Amino acid sequence: MNLISVEHLTKEYRVHERPPGLMASLHSVFHRKYKIARAVDDLSFSIRSGERVGFLGPNGAGKTTTLKVLSGLLHPTAGTVRVSGFDPRRREHDFLQRITLVMGQKQQLLWDLPPADTFTMNRAIYDIPKQEFDETLSELSSLLELGKLVERPTRQLSLGERMKCELVAALLHRPKVLFLDEPTIGLDVSMQAELRTFLKKYNERFEATILLTSHYMDDVTALCPRVIVIDRGHLTYDGDLTQLVHKVRPHKRIVLRMHDGKQETHDVAPSDLKATITRLLSGDPISDLTVEDPPLEEVMRDLFAERGDRVTNS
Amino acid sequence: MARYFRLLLVRLRVSVQLGSQYRSDFLVGGVMALFWLSWNLVPMWVVWQKRPMIAGWSFPEALLVAAWFTLMRGVLEGAVQPSLVAVVEHIRQGTLDFVLLKPADAQFLVSTAKFESWRAADAIGALVIGGYALHRVAHPPAASAIAVALLLTLAGAAVLYAVAIVVVAAAFWVVRLDNLIYLFNSIFDAARWPLTVFRGFWRILFTFIIPLGLITTYPAMALLNKLDWPTALRALGGAMLFVALARVAWTRALKHYTSASS
Repeated sequence: MNLISVEHLTKEYRVHERPPGLMASLHSVFHRKYKIARAVDDLSFSIRSGERVGFLGPNGAGKTTTLKVLSGLLHPTAGTVRVSGFDPRRREHDFLQRITLVMGQKQQLLWDLPPADTFTMNRAIYDIPKQEFDETLSELSSLLELGKLVERPTRQLSLGERMKCELVAALLHRPKVLFLDEPTIGLDVSMQAELRTFLKKYNERFEATILLTSHYMDDVTALCPRVIVIDRGHLTYDGDLTQLVHKVRPHKRIVLRMHDGKQETHDVAPSDLKATITRLLSGDPISDLTVEDPPLEEVMRDLFAERGDRVTNS
Repeated sequence: MARYFRLLLVRLRVSVQLGSQYRSDFLVGGVMALFWLSWNLVPMWVVWQKRPMIAGWSFPEALLVAAWFTLMRGVLEGAVQPSLVAVVEHIRQGTLDFVLLKPADAQFLVSTAKFESWRAADAIGALVIGGYALHRVAHPPAASAIAVALLLTLAGAAVLYAVAIVVVAAAFWVVRLDNLIYLFNSIFDAARWPLTVFRGFWRILFTFIIPLGLITTYPAMALLNKLDWPTALRALGGAMLFVALARVAWTRALKHYTSASS
């Protein structure tokens, strides 16, 4: 059964056109020109319960807008959206109990107090029974290895520590649907990996559905078997991640490491793989040889390059 | 209902914790509250030195209005405005999203976001001034008069809250609100005087449009047995109307936010 269904979703904003220059600015105080910006255009997709889906696209593609519509923060201009049987726009109590939205660039933790106080506050807001709260908190804390962290004021925590606590604050009510908007932004590689492992465990443990946007392709590769790619509000791909890679970049990549530390890469068609490897092995002595798919960053770059866009998902 | 009460307690506790994080702020705040309290009484004292009765009010009677003014200013600046300022910041930074994602009434969450606990000093000050004024007035108020005064106090606080919510609603369109808050505080200053001191336009303004009379003068009048029942009932009805209007303004503002923000 589909847990999330989006049909012909369109979201438009009315934006004020601000011309450059002083005179033009003064003029615009009295005569405002508005234009309609279409952030999401006739988007349709559906997600089954328990799926982990990566939501990809360049900046301004409409990813965040879609996540906000799905979580009830924005109202669609046209089309219908259902999440867990609810119309998000109505912001019903039972709906909000079931979902969470994590925004890597915004925080809900109280800045001057330890995260534990935000947790207590969320416990009161979500009306979580004491025992359930304690269980969830200790489980999340051990999964994220929080330790005594939650007792230090938020402002003294590092970005990564803060993000871990943000996740706990967002998951205390054990939501079944997770909308994650750039949850790993700004974090170092090991912290990113830690959060990915955690999200996967949460997904398995609570059978939660995850829809995630990220600038880090490693997040998507590690977490999401399925990806939805949108560009300028349109759906451009929906399906298996490996198939997307094969479709856009059918070549395999052979990486050779020589004895002197030099590295060579060769992109070859799968049918030529054997012949190329044989040829390479008969040449100079090598220390290592690997065959891999091209990195997702390059796939994305190729996918959007045709459109003449600057691709920021790298 | 019980859930919201629990939530309010948690919010209050967090505010006290926040307040005591910066202990010197806490102390300075309390001292400042006491200073303003005495300073506010000076003009009244000067004016009533010249004449024993002004617009039907003796000095001790006017002091009773000043006591309510002190209490209500504490409510305004300790319980209403800090949250209001926090919401405006939320709107500016986009973190209001977190409020709207919570399964609780957004207006409740927004208006209980922050309390300045040292403002309790105002309540103590109000009690002292009020106690002294009653002592000077000589005839102790009847139990029914005290009940009406308390009821009107709640109504007055509700009106203050309603006005603040309307201001917050405006913040969804106009992001800079500092001036509006400053303007309201300046107007509120007039509430230290008994309503009958004002005439014509000002009397109408402070009775119906920004009902400062209801907030400070009517409770004092009730205690002095000077308030007739019809006026008291109209005041209570008016307060409810204000709260209802504020709710409408808030709902409309939220609708605007969810369809306009990005």
